[in-house]
Amino acid sequence: MLSADEAADLIEVIASRQDRAAFASLFRHFAPRVKAFIMRGGTDVEAAQEVAQETLIMVWRKAASFDRSRASAATWIYTIARNKRIDLLRRAARPIDTEDWLVVYAPEGEEADKSVLAGQTYTRVKELLGGLSEDQLVVIRKAFFEDKTHTVIAEELKLPLGTVKSRIRLALGRLREALEKDE
Amino acid sequence: MSRHPAPDELLLDYAAGTLPEGPALAVALHVALDPQARRTVDRLNAVGGALIEHEIEASLDDAALERAMARLEQVAVEPRAAPATARPGFEWAPPPLIPHLRAGLGWRRILGKFDEIRLDVPGDAHRVSLLRLEPGHGLPEHNHRGYEYTVCLRGGYTDQTGSYGVGDFAVGPGGERHEPIADPGEPCIALIVVEKPIVLTGPWGRWLNPLVSRGWI
Repeated sequence: MLSADEAADLIEVIASRQDRAAFASLFRHFAPRVKAFIMRGGTDVEAAQEVAQETLIMVWRKAASFDRSRASAATWIYTIARNKRIDLLRRAARPIDTEDWLVVYAPEGEEADKSVLAGQTYTRVKELLGGLSEDQLVVIRKAFFEDKTHTVIAEELKLPLGTVKSRIRLALGRLREALEKDE
Repeated sequence: MSRHPAPDELLLDYAAGTLPEGPALAVALHVALDPQARRTVDRLNAVGGALIEHEIEASLDDAALERAMARLEQVAVEPRAAPATARPGFEWAPPPLIPHLRAGLGWRRILGKFDEIRLDVPGDAHRVSLLRLEPGHGLPEHNHRGYEYTVCLRGGYTDQTGSYGVGDFAVGPGGERHEPIADPGEPCIALIVVEKPIVLTGPWGRWLNPLVSRGWI
């Protein structure tokens, strides 16, 4: 296992001295997880493996842009994997700007205690996911893992669109409420 | 503080990467201009990160790491990139818009009333435009056959649903008539993403709709 701090340290070591051993550790931890995550969306094994591989290569290339005060390593890697998957789907079109400007360039000084916040947000989100009701978890999982729009989720769960939307809103509301307590 | 935020479901679709390119651009611009939306999306990204961390590992063939290591020979660790700067005349453009403003794009006068720049979104059927309205001027009254996403980038406008300032977001379903008018002061610039061609409902609509549906205006 790799703690959030260890993962962030590894990325920083890549940035500061192109450390290949650090890359290998990150790869062993994250590549299989990214692959599994991408496969849940119905992507086949080979394509999911390619996304995982490209994601970790991008982690190497962009290591210097990683800012642990803005996002945890897992969050940063999630945004890269998501964008790589979009690139795969839009194969014909130009690749999207993989440097998620939100994580990389969001205006400085917006939140004074970002460094505490990024780590806290991530840890709290992890706990909170466990605390959501099954109903709420199902819609959030479908939205993230299975890459479904709300209309498709509603059809699959045989629920009215309004119900899906209100469950998502409730789940997000709970996340927000619990997170804002910390700020 | 935005008076008109994007709905949470749309922010979730954005964070999950499920929006088509046009609506995703509209949400990205809203998020760029609205700190509260940005915090929500940061959190949703953290949800994505937590889900990846909790993921059961899929088996990865042993050679995958070796192949990746071999590729590193050709891949440099890049220095931290400086934020892109917009080209002259587009200094107001928030970061997510900059890659779309290729050289040679310029404002085009439409119906003698407003200016438009049509943006390229390959692989997406949405029509994505920047519109510029002079203060006190409006768009012809119209309604929509599909969803319309609007994010105000400069100045402000008012329609039947309220007043919108920089960063404000509006999403409307088809069948709603509205007639946005730019507020006094500076020109209003907004990004408009339309699912299907709009339908003009004013007296000229009959004559102009065929042109609109052919994408000429």
